[in-house]
Amino acid sequence: MVTAKEWEAPASFGQERIWLADQMDPGSPVFNLPCPVEIPYAIEADAIEAALTALAERHEVLRTSLRVVDGTLRQVVHAGITPDIRVHDLRGLPEEERRARTLGHIQAANGEPIPTDRAPMWRVTAVRAEDARWVVTFVTHHAVFDATSAVILQKETVRLCAAAAARADEGGGPVTPAGLAGAAGLPELPIQYADFAAWQRDRIGDEATAGQVEYWRTRLAGLPAVHSLPTDRPRPARLGYAGDEVRFTIPEGVRERATSLGRHSGATPFMVFLTAYVALLSRLSGEDDTVVGVTMSGRELPEVTGLIGMFVNQLVVRADAGGDPTFADLLGRVRATVLDAMENGRVPFQAVVEAVAPPRDPGTQPLYQIGFNYIPDSGIEPIPYTTSKDDLAFDLTTGTSRLLYRTDLFDKETAEAFVARYLRVLDAGVADPGTAIGDLPLVDGAERAALLAASTGEPLAPRAATALRMVEEQVARAPDAVAVVAGDRRLTYAELDEAAGRVAERLRGSGAGPESLVAVCAEPCLELLPALLGVWKAGAGYVPVDPAYPADRVAYMLGDSGAGLVLTRKHLLDTVRQTGRKVGRNGAEPVVLAIDEPAEWPAVSAGTAGDAPTPDAVAYVIYTSGSTGTPKGVAVEHGSVAAYLGWAGATYPGLAGQALLHSPISFDLTVTALFGPLTVGGSVRLAALDDEPGGDGAGLATFLKVTPSHLALLAALPDRVAPEADVVLGGEALPADAVAAFRQRHPGVAVVNEYGPTEATVGCVLARVAPGEELPVDRAGSVPIGRPAPGVAAYVLDGGLRAVPTGVVGELYVAGPQVTRGYLNRPGATAAAYLPCPFGPAGARMYRTGDLARRRADGTLEYVGRADDQIKLHGYRIEPGEIETALRARPGVRDAAVSVREDTVEGKRLVAYLVGEPGSASDVADVDVAAVNDALAAALPAHMVPSAYVVLDVLPLTANGKLDHAALPAPVTAPGESEYVEPRTAAEELVAEVFAELLGVEKIGATDDFFELGGNSLLAIRAIARIRGQIEIDIPVRGLFSYTTVEDLAAEIERRLSEDLDQLSDEDVERMLASEGDGTS
Amino acid sequence: MTDEQYVVVRNDEEQYSIWPAGRTLPAGWHDAGFGGAKQECLDHIETVWTDMRPLSLRQGG
Repeated sequence: MVTAKEWEAPASFGQERIWLADQMDPGSPVFNLPCPVEIPYAIEADAIEAALTALAERHEVLRTSLRVVDGTLRQVVHAGITPDIRVHDLRGLPEEERRARTLGHIQAANGEPIPTDRAPMWRVTAVRAEDARWVVTFVTHHAVFDATSAVILQKETVRLCAAAAARADEGGGPVTPAGLAGAAGLPELPIQYADFAAWQRDRIGDEATAGQVEYWRTRLAGLPAVHSLPTDRPRPARLGYAGDEVRFTIPEGVRERATSLGRHSGATPFMVFLTAYVALLSRLSGEDDTVVGVTMSGRELPEVTGLIGMFVNQLVVRADAGGDPTFADLLGRVRATVLDAMENGRVPFQAVVEAVAPPRDPGTQPLYQIGFNYIPDSGIEPIPYTTSKDDLAFDLTTGTSRLLYRTDLFDKETAEAFVARYLRVLDAGVADPGTAIGDLPLVDGAERAALLAASTGEPLAPRAATALRMVEEQVARAPDAVAVVAGDRRLTYAELDEAAGRVAERLRGSGAGPESLVAVCAEPCLELLPALLGVWKAGAGYVPVDPAYPADRVAYMLGDSGAGLVLTRKHLLDTVRQTGRKVGRNGAEPVVLAIDEPAEWPAVSAGTAGDAPTPDAVAYVIYTSGSTGTPKGVAVEHGSVAAYLGWAGATYPGLAGQALLHSPISFDLTVTALFGPLTVGGSVRLAALDDEPGGDGAGLATFLKVTPSHLALLAALPDRVAPEADVVLGGEALPADAVAAFRQRHPGVAVVNEYGPTEATVGCVLARVAPGEELPVDRAGSVPIGRPAPGVAAYVLDGGLRAVPTGVVGELYVAGPQVTRGYLNRPGATAAAYLPCPFGPAGARMYRTGDLARRRADGTLEYVGRADDQIKLHGYRIEPGEIETALRARPGVRDAAVSVREDTVEGKRLVAYLVGEPGSASDVADVDVAAVNDALAAALPAHMVPSAYVVLDVLPLTANGKLDHAALPAPVTAPGESEYVEPRTAAEELVAEVFAELLGVEKIGATDDFFELGGNSLLAIRAIARIRGQIEIDIPVRGLFSYTTVEDLAAEIERRLSEDLDQLSDEDVERMLASEGDGTS
Repeated sequence: MTDEQYVVVRNDEEQYSIWPAGRTLPAGWHDAGFGGAKQECLDHIETVWTDMRPLSLRQGG
């Protein structure tokens, strides 16, 4: 019965917001609101229809659709509508089946999107369950409906149906909508929804509202653009509303305590529940600045109390959870924040968004992504939700409550854990409000026990107490076995031991002994191992100094360590002596000896070995470069080295064969290949990674340890490793794709990711991937670092040194025998980094690694980044690993690094560094940067897309083989990049013209950005409407949020146009051509 | 952040460290009688922890 009669009114702000959000994921039923009504009357279907029609006649909003007219959203009220009623007679079915089928019908109706451009924006499923029982379920679009509307709708529907039943009982004639409305005796409505919308529009300009807008602008300045809650998957580039829910109940006792706590604190139960929510969010995200969206009914005006419609307004509650307040203190803060927000709650959310103008990102909702709704008395419909507007949102009621979550971001298990943690935090918080929020329990006993178990490695198998003892055992066991190979020279175990004895004798004679240090400044050579073992046999510790270091650095290390003896090689003698003279203290410059000068090391009579070093004596001091300040020497005791080599020898069978020692001994990654083989009867081969293997018949290495950055080099070389070798990677995050490529070429090799700072002796957490085993990959595209090594405990802790639950990012701490003594002669720095361990044996210390990690569901650890150089850009937390993985996944990109630079003309920006695959045409690989950028923009949220790209021949590495961030060049800004660029195509001209008109700017160029020039989402609707008006093209409003510059939007328009053309059939094309021919001829 | 208070603590090996004031000390650690901001505590340790060898090694050697 659609008539042509209709009239228009402005849309309310709430409708505008909903409509706009609807455009971001068109065709999603996310804004469908189901509302079931029980009708306990024996009436027929036509009476139901009459009741619904009467309802629609009464409430204009139920006859309303939305329409964009000249770039503004209008509501269109229709004189009459035909309701969409789906009647199902399920009488006579067994109850269980009836219930299941009813739910099925409702779910089907609820899952179907409701178009907003047609009235009515609702549909009804009417199930007749029994003669005198109907279940009438409305599914209504949120643009014309809210939670209070549901209560009104239920009440009025029942009354209208009651009137129909009464009429039937009286045996009256057919029921008419008009007759029903009169009989039901519903009060007249003073105004309609469109009147409210007009009133709201009028008020927005007044002074009081302007003051409120100003409040929000100040209050929300510098808001985190997106929450830092750990998600199970990276945020997709586009917002999608696919969702799921977890239902739960707040136990009655907790509810009562919450109410009573509120009463004593002048707070509502809502504020108490929200406080627990804020506490939980802050704990799980590690972010003090928490942002939650809450709903207000928006029905302060008495005239609207009886109206169906969209009145709710979203308020942003930004609460500061910093300083580890007590639950009671946090409640006070939340209370004050909520009261302030409510006082300024008249401003429609959409207006707040425009005022605050957060960074645009089509993958993220503006201002808040986590919702909290407290609807005490409203029952939650039985229909499970399959959509979610927010990343996470609570609907709390006194009965069944639910958590809604976006399935793009979260798994069911995570959502369930979130609910369980909330209930735990709430329970503990209201039971003892004096508890610091950091001490509220996130985990229960079982989870705590599981966490502790996953934090602790296997017990360490007993072995000799020092590495030197282990080597000496091998000397005794197989004296004639080969121990060291360098070129065509070699040493047996017996020769090695004898040579080491001579070194020890001479060093002891020169004053070396327990706790004294001997510097070793020499490239690897055959004499190196006897020298190092000789230092140990003398009871002393060695300090490796890379001769390739600049003289100042060598001088610094010699001076800082106070080494009285320096071992070097003949060709370096003069240089080292010169340096030694500079650092000589009290006129005593260090004694410098050449290890490859046989005359220096006379034979000694057997059996002159001195006291073996004790496990707590210093074995070596290795200087760490450190990102800031001067290098610090890490003093490592013999016991720690023995603990590391003890498990390494058992875990890496390849050590018993031949290990390749290819990098300087000045960094501790080398310790494994240097001593590991000698503790298990294997041999050490000294050669560079790109030396030809096997020339001396020694064959390929069965053990190789490299940094992940070396993998690319390894790939470019002929095979260096035996078919069944152990390849250990350490030193930095390990990209899974590089490992996968390596494994493809070496299927029999066991790959090990070994994590460990020098302060915890070489390696302390490891993931071993056996041949054929599936390669584990974390969300950043790296191989997880795995589990604590035997004897090691590895804890993930929050800022208050409390264990964080699975999935939550915290700082990694290491305890156990591999924890080193500390920084040489630096008590303050040592005390700051080596802390009392609350979990281990009495008096134990744990080392604070400064690395961020999270524990995965399988108990293994994932490296997340450095705590001190976490990248934050424009309010977003950025994980470079995720971006680097996306970059490496592009064809033609061999390696990539990402860095935030502040030294650019444009200020802070994200810069990507790319290394191309070597091309066949030239040596310098070229990368199609534009294609890479397009691919990234399609795959990653906008804030993670680099704003500049630099192509390098190779990524700069530090001496230790790690990426050298400091050596990455600043991007060169193309000259005139920000200058005016004349639109070049018809599409660009069109877009530029539309932008210029709407933004009131005279001249708009091809590279200009809509939002940077002052555009907002309302103007965006108008811009798209105008473009649609000019050319017949189906481009969604979200298009302008994804393609914000003239050239990008124009390109998208052209792409869509050509797509449309492709879809034309030959017939269509012929017809079009024909008609064109007609027109021109 | 900067006004967070710490105490200087020491274990039986006479190794020094710092611990947040007011929090229960892990077993085997003792209050060394100095408290203050983090840097003050570290500066204090710089002056009192003059021999960084663990006590057992000092006594054995």
